[in-house]
Amino acid sequence: MTKARRIAAIALLLLTGASLFAGWIARHPYQKQYREAIASPPAAGFPLGTDELGRDRFSRLLHGMRISLLLAPAAALLSTTLAALLGLTAGFLGGWWDRAVTGATDLFLSLPWFFLIITVRALLPLNVAPETSVLITFGLLGLLGWASPARVIRSAVRSLERSDFLLRARAAGSSNPRLLFIHLLPNLAPVLMAQFWIAVPLFLLSEADLGLLGLGVVEPLPSLGNLLRELANFSAVAGNPWMLAPAAAVMTFVGGLHFLLAPRSGAGT
Amino acid sequence: MKRSLLTALAALSLAWGQGGELRFCLRAEPKTFHPHKVVDEASDTVRYLTGGVLLRVNRKTQKLEPELATGWRIAADGRSITFDLRKDLFFSDGTPFDSADVVHTMAVLLEPETASPLAEPFRFGSGRLNTRAGGRHSVTITLPHPIGGFERLFDQIAILSSRSAIKEKAVLGPFLISERKPGAYLQLMRNPHYWKKDSHGRRLPYLDSIRLDIQSNRDAELLRYQRGQVHLLTSVDADHFDRLAASPHSGLADLGPSLDSEFLWFNQAPQAPIPAHKRAWFTSRNFRRAVSEIIRRDDLARVVFRGHAQPAAGPCSPANKLWFNSKLKPHAFDKKSALHRLAADGFRLQNGMLLDRHGNQVEFSLVTNAGNRTRERMAAMLQQDLAEIGIKLNIVTLDFPSLIERISRTLHYEASLLGFVNVDVDPTPQMNVWLSSASQHAWNPSQKTPATAWEAELDRLMRQQAAEWDFKKRKALYDKVQEIVWEQAPILYLVHKNVLIGVNPAVRNVVPSVLRPQTFWNPEFLALDGARISQRR
Amino acid sequence: MKPSGKLLEVDLSVDYPNMPGALDQVRFDLDRGEILGLVGGSGSGKSTLAMAVLGLVQWKNGRVRGAIRFDGRELAAMREPELRAIRGSQISLVLQSPVSSLNPALRIETQFREAWKAHRSGLSSTHERELFLEHLRMVNLPAEPDFLRRYPSQISVGQAQRLLIAMAIMHRPKLLIADEPTSALDPITQAEVLALLARLNARLGMAILFISHDLLSIASLCRRVAILEQGRLVECADTAAIFQAPAHPFTRRLVEAVPALPHSFPSSLANIAAAVTGVSHARTAAAPQPQPASTLDSGTESCP
Repeated sequence: MTKARRIAAIALLLLTGASLFAGWIARHPYQKQYREAIASPPAAGFPLGTDELGRDRFSRLLHGMRISLLLAPAAALLSTTLAALLGLTAGFLGGWWDRAVTGATDLFLSLPWFFLIITVRALLPLNVAPETSVLITFGLLGLLGWASPARVIRSAVRSLERSDFLLRARAAGSSNPRLLFIHLLPNLAPVLMAQFWIAVPLFLLSEADLGLLGLGVVEPLPSLGNLLRELANFSAVAGNPWMLAPAAAVMTFVGGLHFLLAPRSGAGT
Repeated sequence: MKRSLLTALAALSLAWGQGGELRFCLRAEPKTFHPHKVVDEASDTVRYLTGGVLLRVNRKTQKLEPELATGWRIAADGRSITFDLRKDLFFSDGTPFDSADVVHTMAVLLEPETASPLAEPFRFGSGRLNTRAGGRHSVTITLPHPIGGFERLFDQIAILSSRSAIKEKAVLGPFLISERKPGAYLQLMRNPHYWKKDSHGRRLPYLDSIRLDIQSNRDAELLRYQRGQVHLLTSVDADHFDRLAASPHSGLADLGPSLDSEFLWFNQAPQAPIPAHKRAWFTSRNFRRAVSEIIRRDDLARVVFRGHAQPAAGPCSPANKLWFNSKLKPHAFDKKSALHRLAADGFRLQNGMLLDRHGNQVEFSLVTNAGNRTRERMAAMLQQDLAEIGIKLNIVTLDFPSLIERISRTLHYEASLLGFVNVDVDPTPQMNVWLSSASQHAWNPSQKTPATAWEAELDRLMRQQAAEWDFKKRKALYDKVQEIVWEQAPILYLVHKNVLIGVNPAVRNVVPSVLRPQTFWNPEFLALDGARISQRR
Repeated sequence: MKPSGKLLEVDLSVDYPNMPGALDQVRFDLDRGEILGLVGGSGSGKSTLAMAVLGLVQWKNGRVRGAIRFDGRELAAMREPELRAIRGSQISLVLQSPVSSLNPALRIETQFREAWKAHRSGLSSTHERELFLEHLRMVNLPAEPDFLRRYPSQISVGQAQRLLIAMAIMHRPKLLIADEPTSALDPITQAEVLALLARLNARLGMAILFISHDLLSIASLCRRVAILEQGRLVECADTAAIFQAPAHPFTRRLVEAVPALPHSFPSSLANIAAAVTGVSHARTAAAPQPQPASTLDSGTESCP
């Protein structure tokens, strides 16, 4: 267990370090097109080869990780926090608030997102710097991603509501905020963690899908999402295994964090 | 003795047999099966395979050939055309074909409720089109005024039966729809009443059926082609092409430049909701030419299309044998000239940024359709090219409907990168692009009066060529159109993609052409190796 | 000013949406410092009564009619904030299942602190801890900081119930409602908890509403017994009277169901209590217990 954690920590450290110092590690700017060397296999100077525009895949991967690995967890945190607030209060307080939140959740999940996101794009100015588009994208993911975790959290709260310890705390005179944040919240930690871990890879990939709707990370910025999108072209990947590097990075990152942050299985006993 | 006779007989019956099922993919569900309402490629394919037309454009020679009409004459004033109809023909349901059907067809086509895109070219100017039968086997169509090259439009007008109970489902083409499973496939079977015979007197088509699988995923389509499950590929992506063509007997071929072009243009419309200083750049010829001269078209063709594209000089591709103006060459990369043109307009470079005469940084957005890898790559390359003269290009990818909404209705965009698909070689169908009053006059649509002298000139030339029916005179006029567009650069033509196709070696009689449909434009003659050899009468 | 009259006077009915008449005109009272036994089968409405007195039935969508007069104040008419101020400070609750009554995610100290902070604040954490340790001592739990750092899963069931009692008495409530506090415990621990309650009653002058289905426990602890059946109070009398001459048929059945009582029924209350505390010899034949008396004695004697 601890060994696995140590390996996970080292892997994460390497990934984070590499992406933080991407500018120093990668010799080529991520947007520079070497048009004489397009789609080349790994070679000296290009450890992962070049993409179809002759850009250094290694540099794009490092810079893409910096963007995605920072922002996807941030967005996941935002959506999980929103979901926790709404799910907790709805499940705990019940009544009209619960009905309102449940209704909003159902509505939210049934909304035609396609059209909504198109509308959002239509409202945005045309000239959005790539960096701003990144923030907008992940902000949007974070703001829109609350509904299904909120539903899960609400039902978890509902079942905790019936628990004896909450009844006793209430009978001991604890106020609602204390019941919520001191008694309920710690018991929801595993649920919240799970929702967070579901959201991170989901957002990494949704970002690429948003690109199809005119949002998302735009050229020339790389992101794990748009790097992963290249893998959809499976016939191209077949003979070029180095193209799988972004997928490997995502798996290492998500897996590593999972190992590192998962609650100690021995905590209870 | 007997054995050698058999061998000889077998050789006589040619290498292919009759029968068999040809299979290929449609990229989407056909939106309509009414031949006059076709707007999408899938419906067009179905119309092509099932519809009978009076005249057919030979995709190889690009010339018109008789089909249901044995001959046609255009009157000296260019206003009427007379067709001599083939005799003793029957629709797929057995109803006879004669001049009444052509009259009926034209009537349905022009009905406002049909809303046929094919009717558009006939609606220029005022007055009504008149279709008159001259006996059972002759029809004369009279226009209110001459329309240059309008006889070619009959290649797309499928003749409907005036008598059939099943209306437009009765067809004169080689195939008819026999089965349909929405979202999955469309099955066509040979039309038993099809009239055409081959040189041996055998009834056509050779094929028993055609199966059109609806498959939007290109990768899946390619995979099925490699496995021999589908026989034909059209518009293959350049990177797929190179990978596939490497294997032997792939059947892949590069037919050279297509009629289609990829281009970008700037929004010059005065009513567009964009900053005035940007509109000032976009309406400046020097600015447009400077941008054009900083674009490395050779790189676009080589990198994005892996060499399967040609730099473009204008709207007309060299593939258009009849109309291409060979005097025009693509705007060449010339940074010095570009900077010179910009300086003439008061632009200056400062710290690697281009500023206009008022000190505004030159930055604009380029909208293109999302999910189109080639366009996204082209945009990324343009971004780097333009950065060379300090222009900051922001790429905005939009889903197609939103993009169309912006470029045609709200005009809320600055520049757009798109492509244009040309079905035919004649310039008349492009009237809706070049006339300043047209709604598809991309850079400044629906003008009341031409905004510039050169647009007025374009209007005049286009109207004149359309009213002319002598080819040489029309060509001279259209050459001038191409020269003005080259000179003024309202649209920066970038490349003409090459036609990349795939034909399974088992398919016989394919005559590949750069005109659509590139692989199956003679469907009645297509045949399959190994199909059962049977005599059919 | 010394409050006069009864500590608790109840005359109430409770309806649930799916079960109207969960309690039907239940009327009883309780003196200061008295231990009243409340007996009933499962589903008789015992727990509902406890919830109703604490003003907690509305959390289960229940509706209370009638009066709950506690210490001269009318609880049924009170609003939530006033009720909250009474819960845990004037009226405390101990539940049947000690393990599930503790929050599994919180350390014991945190749970203590929460119970304390629900009504008081302004104590430094050192003083708080001293207070907690003192209360641990009062219920015969190890009064060590180490114990406070444990999680509920790290203590035994008996320890948990005593811990809950310790938390319940922290604010010196006038009334402790114990809802089947011993039914989840083994016989020895049962006896310990009963003894503890009796001792706290004596020492703190705290009235106890002792809810149980176990007549023996009731007999050992209570002077009076109320019998609840299907939401109605069918009998309320001195414990001895109930055992000797159960008036109601249901009460009779309850008394007859007491398993190991000798047929010659002890006549005095003291004897009954002895019969219960001496559980071991009353049940020797059925389930021999190793050294039960000494365990019990040590518990009793270590009471400060």
